[in-house]
Amino acid sequence: MNDDHPRPVADLLSGIVWLVLAIGIVVMSWQMDRLEHLKVSVYSAPGLLTGILGISIAIMGGILILRSIRAGALRQMELPHFNPRDHWRLLTGLVLCLVFAGWVVGSGVPFWLAAALFIAIFVFVFQFEDRRASGTLPRGALFAVVYGLICGAAIQYVFQEVFLVRLP
Amino acid sequence: MFDGLLLFGHSIASFARPTTILYALAASLLGLVIGALPGLTATMGVALMTTLTLTLPPSQALLILICTYVGAIYGGSRSAILLNIPGTPASAASCLDGYALARQGLAGRAMGIATSGSILGTWIGMVALALFTPILGEAALKFGAYEFFWLALFGVVISGNLTGNDPLKGWLAGFAGLFVACIGQEGLYAHDRFTFGFHDLSGGISLIPALVGAFGFAEVLTVIKDRPPKVIINTFDTVIPRIRDVTQYWRTIIRSGLIGTGIGIVPGVGEDVAAWSSYAAARRASKEKEKFGKGSVEGLMAAETGDNACVPGAVIPVLTLAVPGSAPAAVLLAAMLIHGVQPGPLIMVQNPQFVYDVVAMMLFASVGILIYGLTLTKVLVKILQVPQTLVMPVIFVLCTVGSFAIASRIFDIFVMLFFGVVGFFLRRLNYPMAPLVLGIVLGDLLDKNLRRGLVLSDGDLSPFFTRPISFVLFALVAGTILLNVPAIHNAAAAGWAKMTGAFRRGNPAA
Repeated sequence: MNDDHPRPVADLLSGIVWLVLAIGIVVMSWQMDRLEHLKVSVYSAPGLLTGILGISIAIMGGILILRSIRAGALRQMELPHFNPRDHWRLLTGLVLCLVFAGWVVGSGVPFWLAAALFIAIFVFVFQFEDRRASGTLPRGALFAVVYGLICGAAIQYVFQEVFLVRLP
Repeated sequence: MFDGLLLFGHSIASFARPTTILYALAASLLGLVIGALPGLTATMGVALMTTLTLTLPPSQALLILICTYVGAIYGGSRSAILLNIPGTPASAASCLDGYALARQGLAGRAMGIATSGSILGTWIGMVALALFTPILGEAALKFGAYEFFWLALFGVVISGNLTGNDPLKGWLAGFAGLFVACIGQEGLYAHDRFTFGFHDLSGGISLIPALVGAFGFAEVLTVIKDRPPKVIINTFDTVIPRIRDVTQYWRTIIRSGLIGTGIGIVPGVGEDVAAWSSYAAARRASKEKEKFGKGSVEGLMAAETGDNACVPGAVIPVLTLAVPGSAPAAVLLAAMLIHGVQPGPLIMVQNPQFVYDVVAMMLFASVGILIYGLTLTKVLVKILQVPQTLVMPVIFVLCTVGSFAIASRIFDIFVMLFFGVVGFFLRRLNYPMAPLVLGIVLGDLLDKNLRRGLVLSDGDLSPFFTRPISFVLFALVAGTILLNVPAIHNAAAAGWAKMTGAFRRGNPAA
């Protein structure tokens, strides 16, 4: 699965996801209230376009499935082996971002502090390998904390004080 | 003509104030840095700046956004030339000859070519913006529900066709965007669609958080997933543009400017296609074809002129039809609506001054990139060397703030996270993001006009195909789709070859 040429099996799986999604959209659009009790014309029913979109996505998803099968998706049906260690950077980054934006922000922690903590941890974690190799871990930790505090305070100041934008 | 000049002069005068000039210069610089840093795109930059400028007066806010946009498209050339990494997708074509020139010790000259090409491209686009917006605006007054329906569909189909390397996936992304736009209360009867009882979803999916997610958070994930390569920068000579490079390739500049502007006008296609198309056209017409890809001044000039000319071009349909010509222009459209500016067919009737304000904003942006193009090379080189591990967490914090700031809703942060994760995986699977964005922007237009059109004709579909403009747009949509069917494509290519062959035989001199 790379950016230019995903494996046919990846296309097959994404095609199936599109098809299932599209069928769900079509069914829900069909079941959607047509507002007949308001004497609304059937041609302006709220589910009209979504139904058409669902059908279109289903057709395209079907074509994608067929195309991937012709490209040999069924011959390589085994799912790619996923080793979390190979993807530690992505997983760590994803978890840090989700925890910060999805949990810490809006939980009552002052924004500048939450931002400073997030930035400091992010920088320290992603510089950890290099810092350990060069024997500068304590310096790296101090740098991460100072950098986080400066960035957190600067973002709060610029948005809230200069441009009068509300922060979470 | 003179009315236009007068309005343009008025716009220049209204912006020629210290604060406004300072905003323009600061935004151009920020755009340049955003564009130069690989992983930060013009779309993300404009989206984040939209949230930062919420409380400013509309003219100043839009000036900042346009300067950021122009600066970012220009800034992408810096990393393309110095690192062989396009700072924005629009600069990918500049890597070919820009980096080749840099490896020959001519990075400074390459940056000078990029500066002159970008400025001239912006100016060509600016002239087109001033000339064509009133004409297109007048034509747009003839658009009814049927025409707007096809226009919205054409935008998604052509964007899906041209912005990736797999039209089927482009269309899937575009149609998914159209569906996303339908979530929430629909525009005719305020009926909830696909909200599953969540009140937050009733307001619909806001464009800015979705964009910040798809272009910002997804980009953060894309950048951090791999260990960044060590940055090696070639030495460079003087960055002052050479007059000879401009005079020698004036035909290329004008051709690329017109191609870039033209591609900008086509809904949802954008700067990268403009750069590649200009580059390809320059190569076809060049007497030095063999130099392309090996450090051709003409090639770099064409790519840089084309992508920057696309910026004003992409704004033309925003102003006249409320349909964006590129992904950053989609954010610009959203920003205009947030600031109470109503673009669309009536803009030349209700607010002609605004069109010339936008032209003046482009001029200020081009002056900004000229100043920084000549002066900030060494500072930019330092910025390019800042590790991405320091930049990305700050970008993510800005994505979070930006998503929240539009409506002060925590829900929008979750929208950003959702689109970021989905966008990341869609990109990995080779789905382009531009059609998705365009779909979200155009979904409402498509929905309302389909239903309005059907109600007006009492369910009769014929007006969708028989009205002249409708028919042309329908033919474009159908042609774009059908030409991707191999059998039809081959038949069309064979027919075209036969026709042009007969023409050549009939005109031996040609």
